[in-house]
Amino acid sequence: MSLTTLDNYFLPGSGSEVIELLQEYGERAMLVAGGSFVHGLAARDLLPGIDVFIDIQKLGLADVTVGSEGLQIGAMTRLAQLAKVPEVQDAPEWGAAKDALRYPPVQIMNTATVGGNIAAACPYFDLPTAFLAIGGNVLAQSNAGTREISLDDFFTGLFENSLGQDEFITELALSRPVPGSASAFIKLETNANDLAIVNAAVQITVESGICQSARVALGGGVNEIPLRSAAAEKLLKGQSLTDALLKEAGQAVQADISPMADHRASAEYRSAMARVLTERALHRAITRLN
Amino acid sequence: MKQLISLDINGEVHELAVAPQDSLLQVLREELGLIGTKKGCDTGGCGCCTVQIDGQAVYSCMTYAMSVQDKPVVTIEGIANNGKLDPLQQAFIDAGAVQCGYCTCGTIMAARELLASVPDPDEDQIRHAIAGNLCRCTGYQKIVDAIKLAATNSA
Ligand SMILES: Cc1cc2nc3c(=O)[nH]c(=O)nc-3n(C[C@H](O)[C@H](O)[C@H](O)COP(=O)(O)OP(=O)(O)OC[C@H]3O[C@@H](n4cnc5c(N)ncnc54)[C@H](O)[C@@H]3O)c2cc1C
Ligand code: FES
Ligand code: FES
Repeated sequence: MSLTTLDNYFLPGSGSEVIELLQEYGERAMLVAGGSFVHGLAARDLLPGIDVFIDIQKLGLADVTVGSEGLQIGAMTRLAQLAKVPEVQDAPEWGAAKDALRYPPVQIMNTATVGGNIAAACPYFDLPTAFLAIGGNVLAQSNAGTREISLDDFFTGLFENSLGQDEFITELALSRPVPGSASAFIKLETNANDLAIVNAAVQITVESGICQSARVALGGGVNEIPLRSAAAEKLLKGQSLTDALLKEAGQAVQADISPMADHRASAEYRSAMARVLTERALHRAITRLN
Repeated sequence: MKQLISLDINGEVHELAVAPQDSLLQVLREELGLIGTKKGCDTGGCGCCTVQIDGQAVYSCMTYAMSVQDKPVVTIEGIANNGKLDPLQQAFIDAGAVQCGYCTCGTIMAARELLASVPDPDEDQIRHAIAGNLCRCTGYQKIVDAIKLAATNSA
């Protein structure tokens, strides 16, 4: 049941109609994709002032294309659909995405969209962390046209993103890393239906035994937004990835995070788990390289 | 402000007026009297409100009625065939997988999507498919047994 009472529920058929509605209703309007996050907010009376939903399911935007550039994912792609893409299942470079899509229950996989998972800017969701490690852009459409926003700049605060008032996501474009790269993701959860206590994702590129580049991302309440650990990335780059170094990288992330304390975990526990998960994710990515 | 929409439930089209914030679960139970679909948490996670939309298992409590216009919705009331129980319903009875029964309809609807795509699932696949359905009574083993039995009986 919804504690939010709505005036209207629109199902526009084109991007320009969406923009018109966003402009007309401004702060009163909320975009709805799968609705799984929006519903949770409405059920808890957390949508003050909102009385119009704009459901974007009729826009299509549900194609996934794999090319030399990378992985282009339409904003309305359901998590279940992305998980079934053969390249996502098999290729080491998309390993972090594959891992992240293993956790949600089937009913959420069938409902939740990739665009909604990113746009929510919820620190406890999994795709933001996985995608930050892989790297790429959010494509957004507004009255001013289409623009690309780097995932590194997309999350601006707790439940806040860098989209403008009349702007919506059309696509997630993940960059294809150079050959010799692999990624991995791990989530710590209390049960199969819960959000992350901490999650960690890494992408590494190794050539002749030396780490050419590393991306280390963390989420799940280690900060108000998912983030990358510059300290860990710097430590790994140019080095041989020994067990001892992976352990150090785990310790290094602790300097870059400022964990929250809530009903799921204390800040200290999150910090300890961020260390452990980073190290494990690195081991998992290395396994994928071989 | 209520809006007039049409919903395709168990192969029958219903014209009805819904408020824009109404969930599919609310409409099923309160407008259409289809109370086989249960309300547990009402916020996504317990699974007893599971129905199939376009063949896919979803939580009806977090699905807006407005969003499923003209999409085929199947509830527990719609799976028996000419008075004969669906193999899953029969197997839940035969394997003793029902205790209080509150979770049963939702779990069957989740298992139904699994069996449609994986006719002979192993235990891991079964447990994964029903991970979004909580049961406080059975300890799950008999539910898993029932789904295996249904797969065997449908082969
Ligand atoms: C029981 C349960 C278990 C879950 N488990 C997990 C899990 O294991 N891992 C995980 O990551 N998540 C999990 N989730 C969260 C779920 O994945 C998110 O709720 C979902 O991804 C949000 O997507 P949606 O399409 O439903 O978004 P919606 O609820 O429709 O929208 C989410 C937000 O994004 C905005 N929005 C949506 N689409 C766009 C767009 N194209 N452009 C701009 N803004 C947009 C909306 O306005 C809203 O603010 C779980 C949720 C539940 C209820
Ligand atoms: S009532 Fe829908 S998941 Fe609990
Ligand atoms: S039989 Fe009682 S909750 Fe499952």
